[in-house]
Amino acid sequence: MTGRGRIVVVGVGNSWRGDDGAGPAVAAALRGRLGPGVPGAPVAVVDLDGEAARLVDAWDGADLAVVVDAVRTGAPPGTLHRLDACDVHASATASSHALGVQHAVALARALGRLPRRLVLVGVEGADFGHGTQLSDPVAAAVEPASRLVVGVVAEAAAAAIAGPAPP
Amino acid sequence: MTHKGTGGRSVRVEALTRVEGEAALHLDIADGRLRDAQLQIYEPPRFFEAFLRGRRYTEPPDITARICGICPVAYQMSACAAIEAACGVTVEGPLADLRRLLYCGEWIESHTLHVHLLHAPDFLGYDSAIAMAADHRAEVQRGLDLKKAGNDLLELIGGRAIHPINVRVGGFYRVPTRRELQEFAPRLERARDLALEVVRWVAGFDVPDLEGGWELASLRQPGEYPITRGRLVSTGGLDIGPDEFTDTLVEEHVERSTALHGTLRGRGPHLTGALARFALNAGELAPGARAAAAEAGLDPSTRNPFRTIVVRAVETLHACEEALAIIERYAEPDAPAVPVEPRAAAGTGWTEAPRGVLWHRYELDGEGTIVDARIVPPTSQNQRAIEQDVVGFVTDHIDGSDEVLAHGAERAIRNHDPCISCATHFLDVRVARS
Repeated sequence: MTGRGRIVVVGVGNSWRGDDGAGPAVAAALRGRLGPGVPGAPVAVVDLDGEAARLVDAWDGADLAVVVDAVRTGAPPGTLHRLDACDVHASATASSHALGVQHAVALARALGRLPRRLVLVGVEGADFGHGTQLSDPVAAAVEPASRLVVGVVAEAAAAAIAGPAPP
Repeated sequence: MTHKGTGGRSVRVEALTRVEGEAALHLDIADGRLRDAQLQIYEPPRFFEAFLRGRRYTEPPDITARICGICPVAYQMSACAAIEAACGVTVEGPLADLRRLLYCGEWIESHTLHVHLLHAPDFLGYDSAIAMAADHRAEVQRGLDLKKAGNDLLELIGGRAIHPINVRVGGFYRVPTRRELQEFAPRLERARDLALEVVRWVAGFDVPDLEGGWELASLRQPGEYPITRGRLVSTGGLDIGPDEFTDTLVEEHVERSTALHGTLRGRGPHLTGALARFALNAGELAPGARAAAAEAGLDPSTRNPFRTIVVRAVETLHACEEALAIIERYAEPDAPAVPVEPRAAAGTGWTEAPRGVLWHRYELDGEGTIVDARIVPPTSQNQRAIEQDVVGFVTDHIDGSDEVLAHGAERAIRNHDPCISCATHFLDVRVARS
């Protein structure tokens, strides 16, 4: 699923818990645009429930991992947040998954299994109750979030083509 | 976080995250005595029961798999068992073996997650697996490798690891070839070796003395360790089939919680799960697991809930051994599923989720539409027993600080691996003193 030189996009969340389904919804929206077989974008798109060990496995050895997850920060619902991995451990309440993304980042850091670069795209959620519907502002944020992920991947692809700076 | 409340001190600890699910524990202490301990649970099966009504009889395996990210196979298998019972179908032979194989993957994954990332830090004096990983990197990495073997077995049989999609009423959509399974066997042999190392690791942990007073209940099926079928037996002499559970289980609605407390009529708190399975079925363990249990000093009379970490490790080893045995004897079935035709009837079924007995009941009309659905998960059955352990700890440490009480209560809960809602989020502990 992953490996050095690879880019992985992970949609984290439970689509049966309202806005917690934002991550999987973005992953679904990206499947046609990113993924194996799409020229110029050697990207794996996967859904996960946020359980820490599975996340560590998913991004192990990747050059870039983009993790899309619902968050609760108090911002207006539908707000997009972009965090780099180095910011994630400082904001322990960013993810809606108490044993999820930020723990996976910390665990991977302790074990030396972080991807070379990790970007977290947070979608501010409103309603995490039972049900398969996203709230209106979160549903409206799926396309902008998808474009944000495509942009992050494109930046990385461009950097890879340019190659690393000579020592 | 501590803040002053009116008429007493109230402490809120947002640390109980190493439990799968969301819940809260309130301890009410007055004049140095514990007045009440309440474990609040926000539980999704209630929502799913309503959601299932009006659906086709073929849909529960896919729908109920969504209840839990950690034990979706348990939900699928109990759903299939109940619907097939309603339709008068029994699935046997290689298809039943494949179900067991899939379930072994879930046991390996779930138990290993709990042992390493949730439970072990309690015994080694860390507040999280992350802190523990800095000092015990090799052990945590070994746990992740073992867990991944379970995860990959789930993917091989179930199509994917989270909410497997290959399970259907009557069997599977696609069955693996003999060769696919044989190619996976070396992974399981390696996992078996790792699992034995894990048993030896956790057997060396210091555990507090505690004797649980609950009745232990688990499935029992002569000739096998209970996973996918059996009668419900207990240390108190219970011996019933899944249809009788309807009348034996008393579900009490608790106002503070969306969950129902499930107790057995006329009996005290009962506990299902690893400790109960081992106490009632130790003789059915695979040879390596049985030897490892003996070496670890476990015997069926074990009632110390802190020792459940060792029992889970032993069951993980058993699941590896059993999975290898199933692969060894596997012959591809003629069809990936047996036909299941609906009829107007009710059916019940249960299996052993990693954390205990999971019971489903469905009532169908003649067209195969679900008229009624009931799900009794292990955690709602275990809730009383867990509260009893919490009360025991708090009573013995009533003069301890709020931190001591909260930490001890968390440990008492974590011993039983409650999959509280399977949707992550928080478990708050509140201690109120007056």
